Amino acid sequence: MNWHRVGAMVLKNQYAFRRDVFRIFDIFWWPAFQLFIWGLFSTYLASASANRVNLVTVLLGGIIIWTFFDRASKDISLALIDELWNKNFINLFSSPLTVSEYLMGVVLISLLKLFISAAFMFLIAGAFYSVHITTFGWYFVPAAVGLTLMGWTMSLIVQACIMRWGHTVEVFIWAIATLVQPFSCVFYPLRALPEWAQTLARALPTTYLFENMRSNMMGQGIILSQLGLSFGLNILYFLVALWFFYRTFAYAKAQGLIIKNY
Amino acid sequence: MTELLLDVRQLTKRFGSPAAGFLAVDNISFGVREGEIVGLLGPNGAGKSTTIFMLLDLISPTSGEIRIFGGDYRHNRDAILQKLNYSSTYVEMAPRLSVYENLLVMARLYQVPDEKKEISTYVDKFGVREFLGAQFHTLSAGQKTRVVLCKAFLNHPALLLLDEPTASLDPDVALLVRQEILESRTRGMTVLITSHNMAEVEEVCDRVLFINHGKIVSEDTPVELARKVRHIRVQLMMKDGQKRTVAFAKKAGFPVEEKDRFVTIEVDEGDIAYLLASLADQGVEYRQISIDKPTLEDYFIKMLGGGV
Repeated sequence: MNWHRVGAMVLKNQYAFRRDVFRIFDIFWWPAFQLFIWGLFSTYLASASANRVNLVTVLLGGIIIWTFFDRASKDISLALIDELWNKNFINLFSSPLTVSEYLMGVVLISLLKLFISAAFMFLIAGAFYSVHITTFGWYFVPAAVGLTLMGWTMSLIVQACIMRWGHTVEVFIWAIATLVQPFSCVFYPLRALPEWAQTLARALPTTYLFENMRSNMMGQGIILSQLGLSFGLNILYFLVALWFFYRTFAYAKAQGLIIKNY
Repeated sequence: MTELLLDVRQLTKRFGSPAAGFLAVDNISFGVREGEIVGLLGPNGAGKSTTIFMLLDLISPTSGEIRIFGGDYRHNRDAILQKLNYSSTYVEMAPRLSVYENLLVMARLYQVPDEKKEISTYVDKFGVREFLGAQFHTLSAGQKTRVVLCKAFLNHPALLLLDEPTASLDPDVALLVRQEILESRTRGMTVLITSHNMAEVEEVCDRVLFINHGKIVSEDTPVELARKVRHIRVQLMMKDGQKRTVAFAKKAGFPVEEKDRFVTIEVDEGDIAYLLASLADQGVEYRQISIDKPTLEDYFIKMLGGGV
């Protein structure tokens, strides 16, 4: 790993980010949009419901930590299609830059954006709904890390698919979060899902993170074995996704897809 | 004898399945010595770009071997690409970055020491300074090409791969580029260049590889390749004896064309003296004569089956 070149990739993305109004908009708009819509909805539910305790906090907590998955799954893929759309891929990869260095560069800039986005969300959540980072306690750290890792896993798979099938599958960059969210039990417990969906949900590391988040917020503690299972699955899926990404990159190189399509 | 800097052996690229796929490059072998400028010529789809992309490790070969600076990509990718660069009219840079920012990012990727000084040098050489602060997407095609050329020289590459480097440039800038290529050679740089501008290839290349249907069909100096086109066009602006001239050419079996006062006869180089002497014997008079020697372009057309 050459950190000088990783630094060059961070610099490049930092420059690009500064000029891209839509991405700046994206960082602030979506969190705000989701917080306002769901915040209002959950406030309404809380006022109408007999069980007033924790409902707003639990729903907002779900939204806040879901953002880590949402952003992580999009940002790295968007950086890739940016290079492809702009025909800059050939310039980058005819230089000594390696795929790992490229990925590390976009991951670092993605983390920076993630922190800014999360800070902005907590600012709004604190101001309007009195939900603060302390509401999650120490559990915020494993939840954020786990969801970010799962987001990167999905992003690697989507990127591999884009390299293999081209522009037609780019829609999955935006769709992947909405595909995973219903099975991740972000706003409702696992038992609320139908039996077949529960089987699928149990295979997702995200499910255990949200189950534990609710349990933690309701003062019922955290089931460490579930947290362990979540991280075990997460690491396994990440390694498989990484392998799939590198394998697909090699396939795209062999078939000339990177050059041919872009 | 100088060192073989680029050594390509039995290089083959097949896209798709072995049975139904497309053979883009078919078992080609060639070498380029240090300090040489070699042209890779051929019609569209001949396999030039696929070859260049394999030399850049952007496409994996189906079989064969590429050795650059004595190493291969499997073991020496970093070292090879550090001393190599590439420019093409058809690639772009990050559109919303300024020209300077783009060049700075590329300089960092190549770990160019004293990057600002190097950028400044090539920005002046290729006349890029006036739009250094402009975002890349606002530039014209010619300006973009000049920026990409700056990028290609930034790391002082030992081997430079140029794909149609002057295709969208004004003649004066294209001349600058050719001068820079020739000047860089004096500093020991080796260049592999593809171009459709035959005059450019004749001017800068020491040697030409002619590639068609994925195979190298000939390899020689531009002058020697042009010489393989044996027919020379003799154009006469007639004063007297136009009909006799045409009749003689037809009788002698020389292809002849007649237009107004001009008669053009195609002859082998060795038959020029015979033709002119025979016309003099017949009392033919002409006001002007021009003898056009074959060029690389004639060879190119001949190789593509277009006749001469």
